[in-house]
Amino acid sequence: MTSAAEARKHDKDQVVSTPARTSRRTLTGYLALPVILAAVCLAMYLWISSLELDSIEARSLNASSLAIATWEHVQLTAVSTVITLLIAVPAGIILTRPFTGRVRPYLLTLLNLGQAVPTIAILVLLAVAWLFLGFQAAIVGLVLYAIVPVLLNTMVGLEQVDDSILEAARGMGYSKMGALRKIELPLSVPIILAGVRTALIINVGTATLAAYINAGGLGEIIVAGLSTNRVTVQIVGAALTAVLALLIDYIAGLAEDMLRPEGL
Amino acid sequence: MTSPTNATSHDGRVMIRLEELTKKFPGQKQNAVDSLTLDIPEGDIVVLVGPSGCGKTTTMKMMNRIIEPSSGRIILDGEDVTSSDPDQLRRRIGYVIQQIGLFPHQSIGENVGTVPKLLGWDSKRISTRVDELLEMVNMEPSQFRNRYPKQLSGGQKQRVGVARALGADPDVMLMDEPFGAIDPITRDRLQNEFLRLQSEVRKTIVFVTHDIDEAIKMGDRIAILQDGSHIAQYDTPEQILTAPANDFVADFIGKGASLKRLNLSRVADIGLKQLPTVQLGTDREGVMAALRQTELSAVLVLDGEGRPLRWVGAEDLQRGGGRPLDELGLAPEAAVEARATLSDALNELITARYSITIVVDSRGVYQGVVDIDQINDAIRTMRSTAVAKARESLTDDSMAEQGRLP
Repeated sequence: MTSAAEARKHDKDQVVSTPARTSRRTLTGYLALPVILAAVCLAMYLWISSLELDSIEARSLNASSLAIATWEHVQLTAVSTVITLLIAVPAGIILTRPFTGRVRPYLLTLLNLGQAVPTIAILVLLAVAWLFLGFQAAIVGLVLYAIVPVLLNTMVGLEQVDDSILEAARGMGYSKMGALRKIELPLSVPIILAGVRTALIINVGTATLAAYINAGGLGEIIVAGLSTNRVTVQIVGAALTAVLALLIDYIAGLAEDMLRPEGL
Repeated sequence: MTSPTNATSHDGRVMIRLEELTKKFPGQKQNAVDSLTLDIPEGDIVVLVGPSGCGKTTTMKMMNRIIEPSSGRIILDGEDVTSSDPDQLRRRIGYVIQQIGLFPHQSIGENVGTVPKLLGWDSKRISTRVDELLEMVNMEPSQFRNRYPKQLSGGQKQRVGVARALGADPDVMLMDEPFGAIDPITRDRLQNEFLRLQSEVRKTIVFVTHDIDEAIKMGDRIAILQDGSHIAQYDTPEQILTAPANDFVADFIGKGASLKRLNLSRVADIGLKQLPTVQLGTDREGVMAALRQTELSAVLVLDGEGRPLRWVGAEDLQRGGGRPLDELGLAPEAAVEARATLSDALNELITARYSITIVVDSRGVYQGVVDIDQINDAIRTMRSTAVAKARESLTDDSMAEQGRLP
């Protein structure tokens, strides 16, 4: 077999996809997670309220600084994910067209290598080498890391469309572009969305590292707790990150359910 | 230019003409299709049949340029389409493939309306057309229009595939082993349905299969192809079965050509034999009189509507005493309709008690019978006609056609 076919098989091994859900969830299923997350936040609030906070703890654990940190974190996640999609989905489409067949294996190897480099290393490299700090630097680091899963899922999503479906589409007179828009992309939506969901989860977690290059986010609470040796602060920062991650995953799951084409 | 269709039985208008069509795939030494010249007459089903790898599918896919020819010309309805816009060309040609390739994310209605939508019809016209097409393939529109492909059985999907190919009423349909992936019973039914549909729509159809029996059943003409899509014989099924042009064709048809030939004539085409029958309620003397006239050991009792009821013999009469005729003798099991093939009739005949197949009309009313002598005669007639035809075309064409058969 050709190296392209091997590369394709290689990609499929790496697909990150959510388990196939045959039926849509019940109303109770939809409500369960938000209720649990709200309960966790409430419990944490009651616990903190019952404690005597010292001045260092109080500087981190108050409504306004927590709200600002959470909002910054959401921004980091959202902006980096949108940019990731804008780059990775079109790149995935281009890399499944026949004319890119020759460069495909090399490019994929390069991307996989890139993913092996940890985000923190990229952030530090940006900071040390170019004195590139703050929100924009964090976005660059996050995007570089999240591109690969979205790109691979886009490619796999497009490649898993049955050849016979594509042949029928072309045979009835769909143009290449028409077949891509009306047949290939809709049929790859579930797999592409699974990649997007993965990117979101990666970004929401990795965004905590942005605190190290002064880009804000919930990481700042955790870092503050660590540097001042205040366990309560560390716990709140970590717990809020976890709640946010689960919430974002939940919303992404809803989007997957709603955007999956009927009939699949 | 030689044209292999000289033996045509139709008015001769050519719908698709392939001229020295050649396809060489990169990296292959031999041409997949090697300088094929073929005329496809309008309104016929032309079957391309041959062993796997002979180039039949490649040949078909060049007609709508899913595969681009390396050289040669494709002429559709008098117009050279070898280098016209392939997307526009394909919208004029129906296309059915073995895997069907329905779009899983679109409803049956949307699937069937694909080509009309590509052609920019308004939505009202499309939905009228979709309903019409679904009815044509025996699928109740209100029941199926809004379903999705995964909710259909294999046979239903195939019907939708055919309906979709007929979408914008193309003159030409290309079908690549359309019934290949379907169980034998459903396949037989779909083939019959398709032939009935074709008798209404009269499309020009190019049909690819590797199954000679399917070719014989479906084809008005059959092109038997050898390696490189070289034509071994291009003729009607009757001619191919009775006068194979060479050893390759004979081998490909395989054993039992005579039996296969029986699939080609219908009971209605041969004269039915009449035997004495009696009406239900005829008295003993009447039945005995009929029994003396018939060559069999029993007579057929018909009911008031003329439908076969019982076989009654002399012994049955004696043993039965005074009981009515419909309680005597044996039920007639072997019955076929006039449109059944001789092969069906023979099949019934073999298992039937008196070596006779009863022929009835669509309401079950007795028409006559077929016996083995009639089937024998039919085969003999077919063979002599075919041989005469083959001889005739040989003398007619021998000058122009020397290079025709490899």
